Amino acid sequence: MTAFVAALLNSFDIGILLFIIASGLTIVFGVLGILNFAHGALYMTGAYLLLTLMRTLEIPFWMGLLLAPLGVAMLAVAIERFLLRRIYHRHPSFGLLLTFALLLIIDDTVRLIWGSGYHIVEPPPALRGAMSLFGVTYPLYSFFTIAMGILIGVAVWLLFHRTRIGKTVRAAALDPEMAQAVGINVPLVLTLVFGFGAWLAALGGALAAPMRTLGPAMGDTIIIESFIVVVIGGLGSFPGALLGALILGGIHGFGGRWLAEWNIVLPYIGMALVLLWRPEGLMGRR
Amino acid sequence: MLRKLLVMTIVSVMAIGVSLNARAEGTVKIGAIYLLSGAFSTYGQFAKNGIELAADEINASGGILGKKIEFLLEDSTGKANVAIQAARKLVYQDNVDLLMGLDSSGVAKGLVPVVPELKKPFIITHAATPDVTGSLCNKYVFRIALNISQNTKAAALIAKELGVKKWTTIGPDYDFGHQSWEFFGGYLKQLDPEVVLSADPSFPKFKAEDFTPIINKVIADKPEGVFISLWGGDLINFIRQANNLGFFKQNFKILMSLGAATEVLTALGDQMPEGIWVGTRYWFAANDTPTNNNFVAAYKKRFGDYPSYNSQGAYAAVYAYKAAIEKAKSFEPDKIIAALENLTVDTPSGELLIRAEDHQAVVNGNWGITKADANYPIRILDPIRIFPGKDITPTPAESGCNMK
Repeated sequence: MTAFVAALLNSFDIGILLFIIASGLTIVFGVLGILNFAHGALYMTGAYLLLTLMRTLEIPFWMGLLLAPLGVAMLAVAIERFLLRRIYHRHPSFGLLLTFALLLIIDDTVRLIWGSGYHIVEPPPALRGAMSLFGVTYPLYSFFTIAMGILIGVAVWLLFHRTRIGKTVRAAALDPEMAQAVGINVPLVLTLVFGFGAWLAALGGALAAPMRTLGPAMGDTIIIESFIVVVIGGLGSFPGALLGALILGGIHGFGGRWLAEWNIVLPYIGMALVLLWRPEGLMGRR
Repeated sequence: MLRKLLVMTIVSVMAIGVSLNARAEGTVKIGAIYLLSGAFSTYGQFAKNGIELAADEINASGGILGKKIEFLLEDSTGKANVAIQAARKLVYQDNVDLLMGLDSSGVAKGLVPVVPELKKPFIITHAATPDVTGSLCNKYVFRIALNISQNTKAAALIAKELGVKKWTTIGPDYDFGHQSWEFFGGYLKQLDPEVVLSADPSFPKFKAEDFTPIINKVIADKPEGVFISLWGGDLINFIRQANNLGFFKQNFKILMSLGAATEVLTALGDQMPEGIWVGTRYWFAANDTPTNNNFVAAYKKRFGDYPSYNSQGAYAAVYAYKAAIEKAKSFEPDKIIAALENLTVDTPSGELLIRAEDHQAVVNGNWGITKADANYPIRILDPIRIFPGKDITPTPAESGCNMK
């Protein structure tokens, strides 16, 4: 029983963090039509920016959690404005090539600025230690991550489905020309959406920093997992990102406990099965 | 007019290039291949520091037989095919005299069989798989660093002293993790036949990020001893997550075969638990010899940190080449190779002997118990246990090497 609860908590801990990151990826794809290879690099930048804010500027964790993702979002706005905007009307492969180049550039820039060594970020004092739940001792910080993920999930859903901003974005995604004709500033919408996607990636990075090691290319694993999530859930589908992330979290949480020797291939088997059964993803539209 | 200027510029640049090449004739060129990009690039950086320091020291005191050292670095990117290309480029295009490097066992296994084609000596300074001085050994390849069998033999000797019988492992899911467990278990069984090795050891995937499922599993399994061969960023992740889950407060003994690496201790600071047995290929405070004291002081002055084992390995390799060339009184590859065999080198990690039979260095293993010390920003080892190379190195016959 305790083993089951522990595996369940692990699944949520891993899954919810993946959801935050992958939702940024899926939103950007849904609206801009660009599969952002540099998403993992933006995740890494968020974590490193938090490190600098806390170490060098001695800003408390909470402020850092607020500021670091905003900093990355601003960087992303510049990337969209000066680079991505030039290739929207070209073949989709241009988007892949450009964002892959960005991944390499950001990875190496991070290495130039912060060096190639490993760093850690301390969790805030209020979230250190562990808490017991159904007989399982679990880190307090993980509960915080899970709560943050749920909060962000609900907020983003409300934003897209219950507000004027959400309608505007969906209109711009559905039919850019028509949206432009009725007075929506489509280029501005696209810029902001890309910034928002990057914000989610960087928030994931900043949230992960107190639990994981900061090192060069830390975004590489995450981008692969995020791709698996959006393929399982359906590219461009926000609820799909949640479902895909929870499935992948479950594969890690339960598979890591009882099928450890299969743990490397299980996510790919899951992905392959989904592609065979529903190529558009579990929640994707045909 | 403009075209003329361009041609002149190109010609003059080429002329400068040629004259530089001519000037470089009085040098001995070392080509080094390390991991310089990606998640583990910190190890390549450490190696570079070590080579730089050794080369500058040697050049300042007159070079090797009057020739200055010039070194060229290539990135293995952690892939065997890239490393093979890099080695060919170093030898055929850059005309290096000597080769060294390699961080990953996978890369080493791919590159070692190709080295005879290049006909230059190659000293491995990091990759730890026993195979490159065992089943894959050849005339050109040497290793100056502690290998898996040496380090796990030391671990098994400690495990026997600890007296507990039920052992399991947590190691990265590739050659290194599996071989570490296989060798550790094998040695421990020889030392103490009553030992029970877990039938269900844990091998999380390399660069797993999240180790909580594994940590929960090992705690639930209630072993008496856990042998951990995770390293680098994986080990840091593991230790932090294990701290959170109370792993180090459980009732079992813990051995970490690469836990005393300075980059791990530096990143973790006071999050590294105290009272744990940790091993390393080199520990900066293990030898009170002039060679080591000079190395640690010079390294700290130049790079601001305590030297990592990978810096020491690279530093030692450059000095091993110096000793071999001076012994051979020649820069001929075959004579250097002959001189490297049975060569004794004074390195920061102590005096080591490069065996003629399998080209593996008989080198000391360093273990110790982690302890906080107000004089150091990192956890240090106290007490330190040095295992003399001759006690932990398998015999040449056991290594499975056949030079013929």
